[in-house]
Amino acid sequence: MDAHADVSDMLGAWALDGCNDTEAAAIQAHLGECADCAAQAERLRSAAGWVGLDRAQPAPEKLRRSVLAAARAVRPPATWITLTNAYADQVALLDAALARMSPADWRRADSRHGDVRGVLGHLAGNDALLAAELGLPAVSVPATDDGPAVRVAWRTQADAVLAGVAEADPGQAVRLAGPGQRPVRTLHDALVQRAFETWTHRDDIGAIYTIAPPGQIHRIVELAVALLPGALRVSDPASADRAWRLVLHGSGGGDWTVPAGAARVEVTIGIDAVDFTRLAANRRSPRTLPHTVTGDHALAEAILRAAATLGCD
Amino acid sequence: MPGDRADDVRLHERLLAGDDDALAEAYDRWSTLVHSLAMRITADHAAAEDVTQDVFVHLWQHPDRYDPHRGALRSWLCLLARSRALDWVRRRRTQDRYHAAAAAIAPMSAEVDDGVVCQAEAKAVREAVAALPDRQREAVLLAYYRGRTYREVARDLEIPEGTAKWRLKAALSGLADSLAAEGILER
Repeated sequence: MDAHADVSDMLGAWALDGCNDTEAAAIQAHLGECADCAAQAERLRSAAGWVGLDRAQPAPEKLRRSVLAAARAVRPPATWITLTNAYADQVALLDAALARMSPADWRRADSRHGDVRGVLGHLAGNDALLAAELGLPAVSVPATDDGPAVRVAWRTQADAVLAGVAEADPGQAVRLAGPGQRPVRTLHDALVQRAFETWTHRDDIGAIYTIAPPGQIHRIVELAVALLPGALRVSDPASADRAWRLVLHGSGGGDWTVPAGAARVEVTIGIDAVDFTRLAANRRSPRTLPHTVTGDHALAEAILRAAATLGCD
Repeated sequence: MPGDRADDVRLHERLLAGDDDALAEAYDRWSTLVHSLAMRITADHAAAEDVTQDVFVHLWQHPDRYDPHRGALRSWLCLLARSRALDWVRRRRTQDRYHAAAAAIAPMSAEVDDGVVCQAEAKAVREAVAALPDRQREAVLLAYYRGRTYREVARDLEIPEGTAKWRLKAALSGLADSLAAEGILER
């Protein structure tokens, strides 16, 4: 008997893992050189998998969530790696900016939080809100004039969040940070918000406007647009449930109709995507921000006012 | 390349790229299939859930282990489910708590759950297995459910090893033809 005949005879047993290791290795080697046997092997092995399917028995519904969470825990999805990296990048950028600060820089006035120490303490406090949502240790910011000590507290908190989210489920529900009612969103959205707020306060501290990467801009505007109807319901209930369209220009932008799929909109607002993130952070005023309005101007104004309430200040 | 296989290639590429929506899609399409096989082999609800989870986590963690040019993804998942389920059965047997009645080889009753995805496939497989000559069916079910090698099949059935090999091959070949005719396998 030649090798081909031996292998061919054994393919049924092989398809059911019913050969010993030596035989299986010889078969694998032969399949690499013999197209006929390889085709036959594929056909038999495909059939072998199905033998036991004599009855459909669906998995319990709750299993889906735990399977997907277990999978993400062993291998974080690419989008999650991108997102956590974006936050880590913003943390590193802010930390580098803080490292360069002199004692006088730490005392520089800030209109919202007193001075730079106040800005950082506020940011660390919002980071701690997410840490608490995730059951991670919360770091308290020392009440001190010592800027570098505040920096260490903020950095420790940010690192704790970064370490904690690495293996967390991006789909889990958490409350976002914010002054008023804190909407319940996914951890994914909470991390978009952390990266956004860290970026915003870096600009506050440096009294400059920097530009985040387009991917981050896009995630921020997606989150902002998703939150906007809820904000509009609070700031201008009469305008809630009306249909509008937001066209954000430039990299990271996009085109949103709210509610999604509405056949007719009452107004279309055109605005630069980066400017829109500044508006959402309440760092630019709707009045001074270049934008175009086609349709109902009063509704556009209400929408832009609502957008300016989305930030964490 | 058949349409289904082109879908497998695309899904596989997305899994390699770390797109978790692709895993959710795979789960939605084939979790009933995987769970049905696991349940049939282990006859244990918790074990079937564990096997189902293992199979999909493995697909996500090691998408490179599947080669879309060598077979359909759903058939690959079937084999993986069987292999993981048999591992569980063997562990139980070693622990001496497993009773042989659990994974009975005798076909289950023909009752089927309503409105489930792989109901038609289960019916086709059931009929294809039933249509096999008795001796071939006996051999293939021993190998499939008990994880017997062809040598063990030969010993159990008191037939020559060459005959055992032939029956296993003939049985799978017959099944492959029937399942291809039902559109479950590619022709």
